[in-house]
Amino acid sequence: MAAGDARVSCREMRLDLMIHMKNVMKVYDNGAVALDNINVDIRKGEFVFLVGPSGAGKSTFIKMLFREVLPTSGILTLNGRDIVRMPVGDVPYLRRSLGVIFQDYRLLPDKTVYENIAFAMQVIEAPRRMMQRSVNSVLDIVGLRDKYKCFPNQLSGGEQQRVAIARAIVNNPAIVIADEPTGNLDPETSWGIMDIFQRINAAGTTIVMATHDKTIVDAMQKRVIAIEDGAIARDEAQGGYGYEN
Amino acid sequence: MKIRTSEYFIREVFLSLKRNNWMSVASIGTVAVSLFIFGMFLMMVMNMNKLAQSLESQVQINVYLEDSVTHDSARELETDLKSLQGVEAVKFVSREEAMERFKERLGDQKSLLEALDDDNPLPDAFEVTITRPELVKDTAASIEKLDGVESAKYGQDVMEHLFEMTRLLRIFGFSLMLVLALATLFIISNTIRLTVFARRKEIAIMKYVGATDWFIRWPFMLEGMVLGLFGSLIAAVILRTAYTATVEKIYDTLAFFPLIPEQPFLNYITVIVIFSGMAIGAVGSAVSIKRFLKV
Ligand SMILES: Nc1ncnc2c1ncn2[C@@H]1O[C@H](COP(=O)(O)OP(=O)(O)O)[C@@H](O)[C@H]1O
Ligand SMILES: [Mg+2]
Repeated sequence: MAAGDARVSCREMRLDLMIHMKNVMKVYDNGAVALDNINVDIRKGEFVFLVGPSGAGKSTFIKMLFREVLPTSGILTLNGRDIVRMPVGDVPYLRRSLGVIFQDYRLLPDKTVYENIAFAMQVIEAPRRMMQRSVNSVLDIVGLRDKYKCFPNQLSGGEQQRVAIARAIVNNPAIVIADEPTGNLDPETSWGIMDIFQRINAAGTTIVMATHDKTIVDAMQKRVIAIEDGAIARDEAQGGYGYEN
Repeated sequence: MKIRTSEYFIREVFLSLKRNNWMSVASIGTVAVSLFIFGMFLMMVMNMNKLAQSLESQVQINVYLEDSVTHDSARELETDLKSLQGVEAVKFVSREEAMERFKERLGDQKSLLEALDDDNPLPDAFEVTITRPELVKDTAASIEKLDGVESAKYGQDVMEHLFEMTRLLRIFGFSLMLVLALATLFIISNTIRLTVFARRKEIAIMKYVGATDWFIRWPFMLEGMVLGLFGSLIAAVILRTAYTATVEKIYDTLAFFPLIPEQPFLNYITVIVIFSGMAIGAVGSAVSIKRFLKV
């Protein structure tokens, strides 16, 4: 489908949809077809695992959601907004409505835990009187209140990822997207992270998480979307990982 | 802009000036040198223009008489001059008067004239004011045809030279300024690039959490503008000092050369120099951050 055909009709803007993808295709500049004909609807409040072998297109899927990459063609709406045709100037405001978490945490090494989280509020010019309360409240959620003065290199990997989660949720996003957030963590620490995700999800936030972690996916019994070679191979409401790793 | 945001920006700017101190010093130095040269040409061109203008506005034909002309025939000549078309007024300047004026102009240097003893080489003359400057050429030509007139001068050579010089100065100054502006832009944008590069992770995170491009850009633009400001301040101080010294020097030695008075001229120059410095700084940083905003 050519980009010009893609229009978001009223029927497609269902109010309870967080993510709507129709015939989404992504071809990178070098010709690599990362995603081909993806059709996915994710409702508000869902918890979705994105699984699949390395190179399947999971990261591309995630990156399209916060518009780091644009689909080559197809329809993609997030919270009712057409993010493909969105003017560039609106992208920052789109990103304020979602929290992004990466495998490598991406914290600022010369800022403390507190400052790293507050930074996310500062740069969107959130009211300062809210800052301390919001940061403390997310520090409580991730259980790092007593480490607020530490620098990232004084924390374990799991703790650093929890800071990243706190930063992702401090502006109250409607959706949290995470690309292999437990990829660098040992199983026990990973469970701590999943526990936090589950609590955030229970509070109403949609979660989309790409992962390799079979144990976690099998145990959590959430919706699983499996991607293989850029196409959806399986989409189960309460699935397991489905691969032998 | 909100207050805490400005605080944040200002802190960022000074942190990074400190972090890149050598590059910052180099940038400030380049800005200072470039703007000093820019300012110098600006002041020269403006002074030449002013000189040309003042010469133009006082067009007057000096009619030098032959030595043989007596006072009586001079009186006749005066009537003839007055009857010429386009002549407004005619004033007789005797050779003695001319010498007095010359002495006055020379001021401190009038001792130079002692070499002449009491010989007065100056001729009697008329100063002819004309109604319209564009008539000067024709009028001078008709005057020169009159009997007893040695020559009629109105300074056309001087003026043509001056215009030619101003034109050359403008072309040369303009090209030089362009080159300097580009060099300055280049070094400022390289300095800012260091800052931007050192903070690329931070920029990426800012983009992920939804900072606008302008919010990200501002601290860098400010940093460029601060570099430009410091450089231009140095240039402005040197320019002001140099101009004041020049004016004094010229007043002592060539009192008749009409330089533009220091005030408010120097203030205009200062404003122009500072504005240019900050503009170059802002543009330089905008150039270097462009690439990093594409996250
Ligand atoms: N920036 C890029 N440029 C070109 N090809 C890319 C780029 N990013 C990913 N790809 C290709 O797209 C495919 C999907 O990659 P990715 O989405 O990272 O998969 P996953 O996260 O599932 O491992 C791979 O073949 C990869 O080589
Ligand atoms: Mg990946």
